[in-house]
Amino acid sequence: MHGQLIDMVVAGVRQLTPRIREYVLASADGSPLPRGAPGAHVELHTHSDLSGPIVRHYSLVGGQGLAEDRADHYRIAVQREDRQRGSAHIHDTFAPGTRLKVSRPRNNFPLDLRDRRSLLIAGGIGITPIYAMLRSVVRRGRPFAFVYAGRTQDHLAYAAEGMELAGAAGRLHVSGDPATDHLDMAALLAAQSDDTTVYVCGPLPMIEAVHTAARTLGWPDARVRSERFTAGPAPDDAPFAVELRRTGRTVEVGRDASILDALTASGIDVLSDCRRGECGLCPLPVLEGGERISHRDSYLSDEERAAGNTLCICVSRLPGGTLVLDA
Amino acid sequence: MNQMTAIPAAASPLEMGRFADQNTPLVRNCWYVAGFADEISRDIISRRLLGVDVALYRTLAGEPVAVRNRCPHRSFPLAKGRLEGDVLVCGYHGMQFDPSGRCLAMPSMPIVPTNANVAAFPTAERGPLVWIWMGDPDHADEALIPDTSWLASPEWKSVRGAYHIKSDYVAMHENLLDQTHFPFLHPGTVGTPEFARSKLDVRLEGDVVVIYRALRDAPPPGIYGVPMGLMDKRVDRFSEARYVSPALHTAYASVTDNADASGTPKKYRFNITHLITPETQTSLHYWWFNSRDRKLDDAEADAFLRTASEKAYLEDVDALEWIAQTVAQDAEPQFDLNFAPDKPGLLMRRSIFERAEAEQARGL
Repeated sequence: MHGQLIDMVVAGVRQLTPRIREYVLASADGSPLPRGAPGAHVELHTHSDLSGPIVRHYSLVGGQGLAEDRADHYRIAVQREDRQRGSAHIHDTFAPGTRLKVSRPRNNFPLDLRDRRSLLIAGGIGITPIYAMLRSVVRRGRPFAFVYAGRTQDHLAYAAEGMELAGAAGRLHVSGDPATDHLDMAALLAAQSDDTTVYVCGPLPMIEAVHTAARTLGWPDARVRSERFTAGPAPDDAPFAVELRRTGRTVEVGRDASILDALTASGIDVLSDCRRGECGLCPLPVLEGGERISHRDSYLSDEERAAGNTLCICVSRLPGGTLVLDA
Repeated sequence: MNQMTAIPAAASPLEMGRFADQNTPLVRNCWYVAGFADEISRDIISRRLLGVDVALYRTLAGEPVAVRNRCPHRSFPLAKGRLEGDVLVCGYHGMQFDPSGRCLAMPSMPIVPTNANVAAFPTAERGPLVWIWMGDPDHADEALIPDTSWLASPEWKSVRGAYHIKSDYVAMHENLLDQTHFPFLHPGTVGTPEFARSKLDVRLEGDVVVIYRALRDAPPPGIYGVPMGLMDKRVDRFSEARYVSPALHTAYASVTDNADASGTPKKYRFNITHLITPETQTSLHYWWFNSRDRKLDDAEADAFLRTASEKAYLEDVDALEWIAQTVAQDAEPQFDLNFAPDKPGLLMRRSIFERAEAEQARGL
């Protein structure tokens, strides 16, 4: 099941770029934390007076250069997206001593240690899991190339550290602001050896460009690994209410939390496991409001989604108003 | 209740616990042997290594694969499943995993779960051995695999064997660094009275503990004298033993016959390779090789060396298991005494303790 959240405290804050801050989080009681392999992320749980519970996913950076973080530390980098949302709340309120909770690390974007050669592509804030992968291939003496793209040089977090780690195998690409000079993914992939596996993290168009280039070159799908938080929050998410008709309770769902988060925070016990719309444990029957559900899971069939009689409460939501559940 | 007066323990560094023993957390960031290369095939086997059940098999291309022998769904041992090409299929609900441990399919679900991976352990094949890294995978640098190139060299001939021992790997390493037991536990094979009394040189090369003895103009031990036909001679015998890592102890014996029929001295060298992988805190897997650089095609020498080695190592197995049983079953605690010849063993135990302590501090 979901497992217990870990009590953490902000131990350090560092401004990396005008929009990106690094936070070193320490376990509140100083005990060693479960380790996350390269590509792993944690769920960060915090609370804002304005929008209630906030849950965000952040990749673990793992360390600085080749040095790894202390056993009781996690290091994350947060890019401020817009005002008063999760990342802005973190930027505005997180300071040394701020308390928060994180989940155990999960890894949906693992680096295959068997790779003969790895091409690591990062775009913007997508550097965070790629930086951890870079450390791993350098440490293990594995052949690799590292390409890091962003709009302007001073918007690239960890650029100097990453390039120092990568040495001659590293390359920075500045695409301009607004971006006019996009990285040529077809040329980049075509130049790779046959035994190269590609890992890409960055904006959705960049990830799609890499998958498209790979398909055009006739590569098997497994040669390109990416992580897409398609189930993640959208900029226009709004608060709404969930009425549990049989239980006789109504719970407010903030714009930065899921129905599952809101029910859990209210002490209502529901089944769940993956929290990313895949495992199919959390769907609840819908009585009213089903036609307005924004489905963001990958578990339900198209027919089930169209019918609106159920939803995965870990990711799917309403654009406002009230959803009535048979629960 | 009457107050009991505790008997104060003398506070030597040993009693303060700065030396590894069977209770010290196992050193994980180290290449260990998972098995002989020919044990790992298209038939999946399972083996517990450092307390973790591991399933071992080969891909169609022949690469060794090691994944946790436990389905992330309902803990079914994956080694009881089957291979479809390079894909390991769980025998319970048919969940499929690629050689890196990624889940490829869950038949009872409409989608492939992205969080259902099984841990994969880095492996590397070197000659007759498959090595495995059970620690932080990020540190699994193949350059750290210790040299055992003589095991795959045409200049050498090896006989080999394997045992499962109900003792801890620290005690096993201490036994290998302790040669003063040879004449008493192994009379007739490796032990001669002259050898036990020869001067021992101990040195530390980083974490590596090396012991060396030179014994000139003495009768050879039977294990080397008999197969090489030197039992009627007096030889110069040089022997080195080294604790290389928690996974490996190597030794050599160099025997020089100064009265060879050719008129020039003739040197015979034997390399002995001891590969040790903890199964649990109190049991271990042990693989050994006895390699020689003379009489490579001599089947009688093969048979003699195999039989004599097996006899000597079985004596070690018995001794270690008797000691482990005594320690486990005797209710009265005892701090073992130490003497000058125990120095190499103590250096090794301190090294393992410090490595384990550093890993614990890092949270591994």
